[in-house]
Formats: sequence, structure tokens, C-alpha cells
Amino acid sequence: MTQIIIKNGFVIDPLSNIKGEVMDIAIKDGKIVDLKEVDESRAIVIDVKGRVVMAGGIDVHSHIAGPKVNTGRLMRPEDHYLTNIPHILPYKRAETGLTTPNVFRIGYEYARMGFTLVAEPATPPIKTRHTHHELNAIPMIDKMAFVLVDSNWVSLDLIKEGRRDLLAAYYAWLLKATKTYALKLVDPGSDVAWIIKGSGLDIDDQMPEYGFTPRELIKVIGDVTQLLNIPHKIHVHCNRLGYPGNYMTTLKTMATARDITKVGEGLAMHITHVQFTGYKGDSWATLESGGEDIAKELNANPYISLDLGQVILDRPVTTMTADAPFEFVLYHLTRWKWFNSDTEVDAAAGIVPYRYRSKSYVNTVQWAIGLEVALLARDPWRIFITTDHPNAGPFIDYPKVFAWLISRKAREDTMKKVNQRALKRCSLPSIDREYTLYDLAIMTRAAPAKLLGLERFKGHLGVGADADIVVYDIDPRVVDISKDYERVVKAFRRAWLVVKDGEIIVRDGEIVKTVYGRTFYIDPEMPAELEKELSKVLEAKFRELYTVALESFVIKENEIAKPMRISTKTYLR
Amino acid sequence: MSNAKFILNTGRSLSQGMYMESEGKWSESYFKIVATIEMNPSDIKKLGVRDRVKIFSNGNGIVALVKPSDRVAEGTIFIPMGPIANLLVDGDTDGVGIPTFKTTEVEVRVSEEQVTTLRDVLKLLGAKNLEVFAKDLPLKSGERKFFESVSCPFCGDLCDYLKIEVDGNRIVRNVGGCAVSIAKFLNYHKHRILEPYMRMNGSLTSVDFDRALEEAAKILASSKYPLIYGLSSTCVEAVEVAIELAEIVRGVVDNTSTVCHGPTVLAVQEVGGVYMTFAPVLHLADVIVFWGTNAREAHGNHITRLITAIGRFRKGRRDRKVVVIDTRKTMTADMSDIFVQVEPGRDLELITALRMALKDLDIESPTVAGVPREKIYELAEIFRTARYGVIFFGMGVTQTGAKLRNIQAVIRLVQELNEWTKFVLLPMRGHYNVTGANQASLWLTGYPYAVDFSRGFPRMVPGVTTAVDLLTNGDVDAALIIASDPVAHFPRKAVEHLSKIPVIVVDAKWSLTAAFADVIIPAGLVGIECEGTAYRMDGVPIYMKKVVEPPPGVLCDVKILTNLVEKVRALKGLRS
Repeated sequence: MTQIIIKNGFVIDPLSNIKGEVMDIAIKDGKIVDLKEVDESRAIVIDVKGRVVMAGGIDVHSHIAGPKVNTGRLMRPEDHYLTNIPHILPYKRAETGLTTPNVFRIGYEYARMGFTLVAEPATPPIKTRHTHHELNAIPMIDKMAFVLVDSNWVSLDLIKEGRRDLLAAYYAWLLKATKTYALKLVDPGSDVAWIIKGSGLDIDDQMPEYGFTPRELIKVIGDVTQLLNIPHKIHVHCNRLGYPGNYMTTLKTMATARDITKVGEGLAMHITHVQFTGYKGDSWATLESGGEDIAKELNANPYISLDLGQVILDRPVTTMTADAPFEFVLYHLTRWKWFNSDTEVDAAAGIVPYRYRSKSYVNTVQWAIGLEVALLARDPWRIFITTDHPNAGPFIDYPKVFAWLISRKAREDTMKKVNQRALKRCSLPSIDREYTLYDLAIMTRAAPAKLLGLERFKGHLGVGADADIVVYDIDPRVVDISKDYERVVKAFRRAWLVVKDGEIIVRDGEIVKTVYGRTFYIDPEMPAELEKELSKVLEAKFRELYTVALESFVIKENEIAKPMRISTKTYLR
Repeated sequence: MSNAKFILNTGRSLSQGMYMESEGKWSESYFKIVATIEMNPSDIKKLGVRDRVKIFSNGNGIVALVKPSDRVAEGTIFIPMGPIANLLVDGDTDGVGIPTFKTTEVEVRVSEEQVTTLRDVLKLLGAKNLEVFAKDLPLKSGERKFFESVSCPFCGDLCDYLKIEVDGNRIVRNVGGCAVSIAKFLNYHKHRILEPYMRMNGSLTSVDFDRALEEAAKILASSKYPLIYGLSSTCVEAVEVAIELAEIVRGVVDNTSTVCHGPTVLAVQEVGGVYMTFAPVLHLADVIVFWGTNAREAHGNHITRLITAIGRFRKGRRDRKVVVIDTRKTMTADMSDIFVQVEPGRDLELITALRMALKDLDIESPTVAGVPREKIYELAEIFRTARYGVIFFGMGVTQTGAKLRNIQAVIRLVQELNEWTKFVLLPMRGHYNVTGANQASLWLTGYPYAVDFSRGFPRMVPGVTTAVDLLTNGDVDAALIIASDPVAHFPRKAVEHLSKIPVIVVDAKWSLTAAFADVIIPAGLVGIECEGTAYRMDGVPIYMKKVVEPPPGVLCDVKILTNLVEKVRALKGLRS
């Protein structure tokens, strides 16, 4: 296999505690190895003097695959008219789409930005086979999916019946059966209310037919993930997303992380796209940012991590979420296209096209919230950059977000163009903080690898790590990134060099080879007796509730193009 | 009176489906069914028909037998979908990609001429080969095997609970399947293509697999603008390869939704949709509407799975109100609580009236599309007071009158109903994996069907890059037909073009399109002899098992297409 030496790069690698040193990195058999192990005369030697070297980027929350993503493509033919790039055969397929890109555009754009691992954060169990078909088809990157559990009738039945042990066994089985990586809660409990009654829920409302509250549900599932000892615990999209005043619900949700009984390692709860649930005020007219309060709780609560869901202004988006009741509300604002799917007994989803405008009062507040949370958070290891693609913006705009975080000037330049009345109600203009490239490497490499429990071989450049390496054409020793932030945007939009599993896939910002990454999934171990009992329950529940056979529901390993099984030692008995 | 104008309606019937899946489309029994028209007895009397009539449309005249039926309204006739029906249908698609299969105006004359035969039809269309080399696969008893949770590769219901019993390579029992499903499994061995063929010196000659593949690759590689069509009766894994092939040869890849739910897909592009999977219907639905779909004949188990079955909050049939809206009093209408007979081609008017009634607007006309005003108010009230309502709709709405505008209006109706209550809708997809063909096309190209790669990137232009238009307009210079039979289901002008260009057919059974083939490649039957994933009509993907091995030397679609891609790449100098 190819041997590569990347020479003289300015290396930033937080997990190895390297804050910017000129180093050589050696690659052999898809792994990073000691320099001694590579024969320089036979290796491809690339001199990257004056350029930054980092591990491949990791995105913990981006809707890249599955039924709602594909329905988004269906609903938005207009997204494909002017966004085409013809194929270059034989090594590059045709690309199309901005907010609903085809699989090739997704893989190629992530690769061009130097990202090599992406998590699809919401897949309904019964259609997860579909999600895997798309993940299989996405080139360039490694991937994983989080399975929706909060409105799953089987698990809710078990909770109601008080069968905590069986519930844990069921989730363990579900992760394995759907080949997914973590448990996802979207507007907890709301899809049950939506399917049965056509309404949503706040955190202390009672769920119809079940009688307990989303707060109790979050705690129960949080406890179970501790027992299962899975690396990424619960991934939560808070109740009341998209409503003015919802920051209180978010604070309450964050507080429940303190109540979760902790036995395993890692953070107990991840709150996702917090911008959408950071609204203060009692109506759209009086909307204010709840960013400061949320950042305060984050700083005080050590069990939590957040990602932003940063709004990108003046770009079309396609909102898509398992928060079906919210999409129905959004449809009343846009009155254009609305898609809803009530998905079996395990989830629902909605899709509505939208556009954030810089002149809009509300949209400006939304834009400010994400940045406020990020800039007021003290610990870069617990805050992640996302646009909740394609909900708040397309992922290709990450470099813009990087610029806002590392450069006050970048923010000021944008602030000139936004709604000034809204800005007066935000604390963003008064924030001076500027992140460094080292912080950025934490937020986009080291911390996500740790959050997903993959820090042994992802997110760093130490010996033994997967050779997912990116070189950006910028030298922070020469360029003042705070002033010259445009250079950062340019460098991070098109990586100078990307190596994936030891193969060069991007050079000078262009794809030079199409490769396919792996799909990670979790297989928690289960005591044999519990498994036996569970299988009886499953048979009965499937006969009653599902319209597919139990056997059809289970996704076999050979259906995944390149599976990567990660087993966990559980505390189940 | 001996001649009169009629409205022609075409569609699926149970026996048409059964004979298609058992004896095959070349059999006497299949042809007899698709060449027999249904006519209202009073029309028969008025015209003085003995047993046959001659039907004129589009400059064509065919003679067909007549069966009296009070299911069709006066002034209309019904012919099951097939080669006869399609001779009468106009190739014009109104720029939508789908011909008007449902409301063609025809002239009917009493006749004593000989009934038109399949061979007459094929000759008329310019078929290249009238010889049929279909064989029955020799069956041998042997090891007995039982398979559970087998899925059925026929319709979009994709029932995955069949129990199949196999004796050697003989399928002896199918428990749980509908009549068509049983016919399909138990006769899987009949009428098969068992060897590859090539047309040499004007007739089909059996050749080896490599030779046929080489020839197919040559045709595709040298073509300027080939059409790859079908794909709805194979697995998504094969669909993905077919799309890659289209991209490599810069052709068009289209699937059968182009002539069934294409308008539905176009409507979703415009307004969205409110869909569900089956379980919410099972557990919650108390109002169920079948609109322009004859589920009992086309989707045999649909009613038993979702209407009569017991869900968590609905105790079977008695907890549900069933409404059927159709031009014909179908078998599904027989089991309904309310049957609404709409005049052919006027569904949009009825939908508009319903949307008005929903908003308490006054409807001035005493009847709309043949439906009394009071009935419309009653329906609107039933809909908005439902706890969970669902509309299953079919070709009766997509193929008639305003086509995609019908569907747009139905979707808007359902979106509006959600202001009152929970209401959803779902297209009744015909082929077992037509949904999967749309899905794979979407994730690879951004478009659900009719995808053109002539510029090296995907484009979809309904009415231009749709299969029927490409053929009718003579735009394509070669065709690869996979697991589909356009000759049986496309209008005359479209089929005629297939007689002028090289055609490659990949199929398990000897289709009518085989009569137009220059290369025929045998394939295993997906879901019976080959594994692979199909998507149920509600988007639930199911990995299909196989219960017997493919015939000796016969490959599955995925393998055939992958080989073809390799060969085309080599010819084009595109080794990766």
C-alpha cells in the first residue's frame, strides 16, 4: 500500500497536545506510523512547509442520509437546477444540489473541506435500511447514524410497564439491529402526540396514552445509556424547538443531565442545534437571544455538551426534522411546500423549505444566538460547530462560521449587513472573544472524536491513528487570522491536501480520487438470559405493532458496504 | 344505431395480473383477457352488439370481444391494461411524461370481423421477432425446504410474511400471498428466458453469455443517446448500477413511475405531501378513502393488512369507515360504506369542490363531476371529523384529466384537513420496487425518474426526458430494458420507435418487448431466485430473500449490470 510522508507541516493536534509545531507525519497501510517505519525512497513525499496540518474533521450532526433527506431532494428540484458539476470519468461522479445535495456532492464537499467523518443524527428505525443505502453510496467519508427512540411505542410500552432491564436490552438490540451508533431524542415524546393527536409537547406535558412526561423519558433513556456504556450517550433535540420562549425548556432539559445516574465514562447528554431552542421572549415580535443563559448553564453543568445549529443568512435551506409538529407550524409561516411522514410506531418527520434573510429581525436574532453560545462557552471541548445541515445552513458554509469564531472583524463585517434593531437586543456586538486555530482543531477534530468515543484512532495525528489527514493552505505564523479572516475561509473551504485512510483524495482543493469510507455501529454486549427474554417480548410487540416481520426489520452486516463494529462492555445483568 | 363515441378507461384487473404472472403475456389466456372490453349492458343493447366490436382511436382500429358489466358507467368502456389498450391510447403526454391512459375518446362500431390477435398487434407495431423461445424451467423434486418471512415481488404492498414451501426447485406452496402472489411463485418456472439470444440475419439465435454481453456493451457504448428503462421490478442495488451505467454512456435512465405515479412525484415537487407508513393506518385510521385505485384487484392483501386487521386503537373493519371514489364500481367499491361515482377525467373538479366544502364555501352547481352537492358536503364532514383519515390513491387520479394538477389538489386537500384533524395520503404504487427505483434515483441524481446525463450531470425535464416522449419523438438511438415490458404498456407511437433502434432486453420471462429485442439476456427473478432490497409503497425498505437458485448459467440483475458497466467502461477507455 501507499506510503506517504507529509513533511515540514505546521501541525496542530490537541489530542496529542501539539499546539503548532513543525513536524513530519508518516503514513503506511492507512495508518499514521512512526517515521522510522516508512522507507523514504519509496514513499510519496509531500512538502507542506508553511501550511497547517490537522486530523480529518468530524461533524457530529449533519443530515446527510435517509428518508427525510431523500424526500428533501424530491421536494426541491429547484435546488438542482443551477448547482451542477459534470462528472469527470472515471474518477469523479456528477454532483448536484446545495441544500439537498446528491450523495456524491455530500462526500466530495466534505472531503474538499477536509472532513472525513460525519454523523447522520436521526434515522427512524423502520427506515434505517434506507439510511444505510445512502450512507453506503456517499463517497470519501466515514459515517454513522443515530437512531430515533423517543417516540418508539415498543420502548414506551416497556417504560410504562416498568421493565427497565428489558428497556436497556431493547435499546442494545435496536442499536445492533439497525447498525446505528447512538440514541437520538427529537422533541422527546412529541411524535407520539403528533401521530395520535396532531400536537407537540413541552418537557413537563404528559404524553398521550402513556401518561409520563418528556422530562421523565429523557432521564430514563439517559440512565439506560449509562448502563449500556455506549460512547455517545443521549443526543437530544429539545422540546418546543422553534418557539419563542423555548430557552427555558432547554435549560430544564440541560438540568436533567444532573439527575442521570452516572456509571460510565463520558458526557451524559448532548444538546443539539441549540440555536433553535435558545429563544427568549414571548412572541416573534419580542424575540430575544437566550444564548447567554444557555452558555451559563453549559459552563456550570459539566455533564453537557452542545452543538450550535448556526444560522447562515441569505442562503436557502431545507428544514427537515423528526420534529414533525414543529414543521407543521413552520409550514404555516411559509405556506409553500410541506411534507410530513408519520413513520410506523417509531417516529415522524417533516420537511419545509425556508430562507434566513439578513434584513429580518427574527433571522438576525437566530444568527446571533449560535455565535453567542459559542463565544461565551468556556470549554471548547464541549461545544461543537454545526449548521444542523440543511436546517440552519448548508454544511459547506462551515468556513464562514470558523471565521466568525476566530475573528471579531468577521463578525463586525457581517453585523453591518444584518437587522440593526435585532442586533441592539443581542449581546453579540459586545463580545470580544476570538478563538484560535488550536481551539478550532479541538472543536472540529479532537472533541468530536472524544464525544463519539473514537479518540483512540480518530481526531488526532498520533501513531496508530487512522491516516485521515488534512493540510490547509494557511500559515498562522505569517497570516493574522483575526484580521485576514477571508484567508481562513478560503483555506478551509478547499483543503490543499486530504488523505483518507492513507490515500490522497484531494489535492489543491480538487477531488482526485473517489474512495468509500466505513460505517460505524455499536454492538453492546447482552447477557444471554436477558436476550432470550427480550426476543419473546419483541416477537409479541412486532406482531402487534409493526407492519413488517421482525426478521425484515433487522439489518444484516452484509447490507453495510464497509461495516465497522464497535462492541461495548455493558453494565447489564 | 351501430356506432357511437365512448370514453375508454384502462387499468389493472385481477385476472390480467394473474395470467401475466403465470402463463405469461404470450399466452392465449392472457391475451383473451386484455382483448376483452367491458361495456354497460344498456350500451350493448343500444348498439346491438352480438359479441364483438371494432374500436377506433388514433387512426387505429381493433376488434375485441365484449363482456357486459354494470361496473362501467354508460358511455364508457374498460379494457385491462395491455397491448390492445395501448394501441388506442395517444402518445401525447401533455408535457408531463404520462399518456392519458384513462379518458381516451374512442369510436365503437358493431363488427363481425375477426378478433385482433397478439400477432396482428405486434406486426402492426413493427416487431422484429415473432418467434418465442420461452421455455419452462425443468422442475425436479428433491430437498424440502420451508421459508418464513418471505417477501412477495409483485405489488407495492411488498407483503413480507409469506411462508413458502419448496420441493427441490419446485415451489409447492405459498401461504399468505394473494392470488397474484400465488400465481407468481408457483409458476416462477414458466415461460422463462433460459439462454442469451442475439438477432443475427433477421432471427434470434442463442449465444453464450459473454457474447450477448459484449454485443450489449457495444450497442450502448456506440450509442449517442441511449435510454435505460424499467427497474421497478428489480432490487435497488441493481437500480444503482443502472444509473451509473446511464451516467457513463451519457444517456437517460427512467423507471416505470414515468407511466404510473410520475404525476404524483411531480405534484410532491410542487407542494410536498402528507404521507405515512402502514402502522399508523392499522392502529389509528377510522376513515379510509380509496380514490381511483382498485386495491382489491391490484393490491390483493392491502385490505386484509390494513382495513380488516385489528390495530391498537381500532378493532378492525367495524371501527373504520371506507369510502371509494371511482369512475367504475370496482370490487373495492363492493366492500365500501360509501361509493362515490365520479365522471371520468373530472376528479379535479370534485377535489376542488371538496376543498370548498371544507371551508364552508357555497357550491353553486347542484352536481359536480356527476356527484350531488349534498354528497360532497357529507364527505367533507366525514373527512374533517375523522380521528385519523387516509386517502389511498391510484392511477385513476394520476392518469386522467389534469394529471399532476389532480394530485396537487388532493395533497392540498389533505394539508388543509390537517387544520382540523390528522389526515394523510399515500400513492398505491404498482410494482413492488417502483418506490425503491425513485429513491435510489433521488440519492444518486437528485431526481426521482427521467434522469438525463447528456451533459454529464443529471437533469430531469418531464415531457422531454421521460421514456414515452423520448420514444415517441424518436430521440433515443438505443434502449436497454430491464425487468419491464414497455411494449405491453406504452402507447403505439412509442413502441414503434423500438422497432427502429437496437434494443437490449434483460428479463427473467419472455416479455412482449422481447419481440423487439436485438439482444436478450436472461436474469434471475428478484425475490424468488435473487436477493436484494425493495421499498414498499410507503418507503419501508425490505431485504428480499431467495427461495430457489437461479437457473444454471443465469445471473441476477446486479451481476449482469455490473458486468455490463465493466465492459462499457473498457470500450470507452474508462478504466478506473
